[in-house]
Amino acid sequence: MIKILGITLGILSAGSALAVETEWHGLADFRFGSADTLDSYIDGGMGKFGQSDGQQVSLSQLGAELALNWDSGISGHVVANAYLDEEESGIGLTEAYLKYRSLPNASGYRWQSKAGIFYPSISLENNAFAWASKNTLNSSTLNTWLGEEIRVLGAEFMLNRLGKIHNSKHDFSLSGAIFGNNDPAGAMLAWHGWTMSSRQTLWTERRPLPDFEASRPGNMLSHQAKESDPFIELDDRLGFHVKARWKYRGKGELSSGYYDNNGQPYIVKKGQYAWKTRFYHLGGKWRLAKGLELSGQYLNGATLMQSPNKEDVVNNDYASGYLALTKKWRQHQLTLRGEEFSVTDNDNTPGDNNTEYGKAMTVNYRYHYVKNWFFSGEFNWIDSERPARRYIGQPVELTERQLQFSARYFF
Amino acid sequence: MNVNFRQFLLLAFALLSLPLHALSLKVQVVDPADKPLENMVVYLEPLEGQQQGKTTKTVDIGQVNKTFTPYISVIQSGDAVRFYNQDDITHHIYSVTGSHKFSIKIRSGQEMLKQDFAQTGEVVMGCNIHDWMSGYLLVLDTPYFDKTNSGGLLTLDVAEPGQYRLTAWHPQMQEKDNRLVQTFTLLEDKSIILKLNQAMAEIPQQQSDDDFYFLSEY
Repeated sequence: MIKILGITLGILSAGSALAVETEWHGLADFRFGSADTLDSYIDGGMGKFGQSDGQQVSLSQLGAELALNWDSGISGHVVANAYLDEEESGIGLTEAYLKYRSLPNASGYRWQSKAGIFYPSISLENNAFAWASKNTLNSSTLNTWLGEEIRVLGAEFMLNRLGKIHNSKHDFSLSGAIFGNNDPAGAMLAWHGWTMSSRQTLWTERRPLPDFEASRPGNMLSHQAKESDPFIELDDRLGFHVKARWKYRGKGELSSGYYDNNGQPYIVKKGQYAWKTRFYHLGGKWRLAKGLELSGQYLNGATLMQSPNKEDVVNNDYASGYLALTKKWRQHQLTLRGEEFSVTDNDNTPGDNNTEYGKAMTVNYRYHYVKNWFFSGEFNWIDSERPARRYIGQPVELTERQLQFSARYFF
Repeated sequence: MNVNFRQFLLLAFALLSLPLHALSLKVQVVDPADKPLENMVVYLEPLEGQQQGKTTKTVDIGQVNKTFTPYISVIQSGDAVRFYNQDDITHHIYSVTGSHKFSIKIRSGQEMLKQDFAQTGEVVMGCNIHDWMSGYLLVLDTPYFDKTNSGGLLTLDVAEPGQYRLTAWHPQMQEKDNRLVQTFTLLEDKSIILKLNQAMAEIPQQQSDDDFYFLSEY
């Protein structure tokens, strides 16, 4: 009996030792930044960078991801991020999900599903550990917004067709997700406009809104909370995201998708409104020559927030797109990125003009020192027209500049 | 007298050792433009029941820098294959087509011996974590096989004369069943040139399109 028990325990412990594997990864990003801008949006200002006017040294990302991989193809993932700077330091979770990936079948089809807190798969820039951007220090305005306001609690299903099984260089995938907990998405974009940084909103973190006339006591938006809580569920309705991707091995990829949080725009709880936010997105990257890649993304959508008696309070269209060219030679890499962005205000709410139009340029040089260390220098320039800056006594037309130096360690 | 006896012994020795002296078959594989092709698998199958030995080998298929190394391996059925992960990450090797379907996870620095390749055929391998990895294992029931060198050449030492079928195989060979076949009678040392009718297809690069090392799946 004891023998059988011993053998059983032996098998179980051997089994469990084989069954799960723990993997740790992450990065630390130490930065010095100098900016000619306003008070940062991170802090409730209207400055478009992750730092306010002046100089500062920061730990602009300490990210870690833990993966538990079972032999069955199921894995558990937790991603945490921390920030230590003069704006607003924080530490918390950014993603937590379970994933299952099947083996491909003989025709090359493979299933993958995901459930938990995750980013809808949109960004082409933020695919390094802990959603860090690999080629630039600041993500594009498009992806900075995704990092700030687009995160879901839901389930995603993806069907992949692997070309290699058919001796083809073409892979295709289709994915669909249903989700909740992203109802206030759109609020930050409306009130501070497009921004450019490497900051991700932590799960349960609240982001301060800038001051604007309609939010002041007695005005139409005085009941809006002073801090937006982007990842909450308010209307008990599911949103969805669908995406199709074509990948041409050795050349590049093209993808397109549609996101709709399906918010009921007149629901408000504790000053947090549900926003009906939807957009389509296009993205691609292409290898033009050895070490030379062209990439770009474009996002275009609309958002609607109404009063409890269903009058439009914020009704905006928005768009942002970038094109980037990255040249790599030996340990050197140079990235040039140009962007254009806009918000069109379609409502008549007094003291709340969300209109914005701007252009941005980024030049990044990255030096790969040794395997884990990267040193970068980056210059960002944003020229924008934003009438809402009048509410805080700042010019409608503004050019902001930032120069950053970074040492990034990946592990 | 002594001399004659010695001559007899020499003759007897020579006669006895004749079947043990292997016939040498030199093969070169070239493309339609006569360019020698490296790493082509060439194998020889007896068609008249000639004796053929059995190899007892263990072949290494390494996982090195997220590639199958070598890209193509050949064994005689029953030989063992040692999968050896020399990377600092886990690989999940699979074969989902043909007669040998399997899936094994091998952690960093670990190896796994697989000895159940009893049936002949092509084993197409991939990694479910690194989609660009691809490797091939050809399982044969003959001991006469090798891969061509940089000059497109190889030599097979064949035990018995007779009729044989010579085959060159490569997954990117643009011939019927990825093979070029020739039947012939081997009576003495022989050289054969196998010339492809079509140019080879491009051999897939076993590397990620994104060469940044610290990527997650987003």
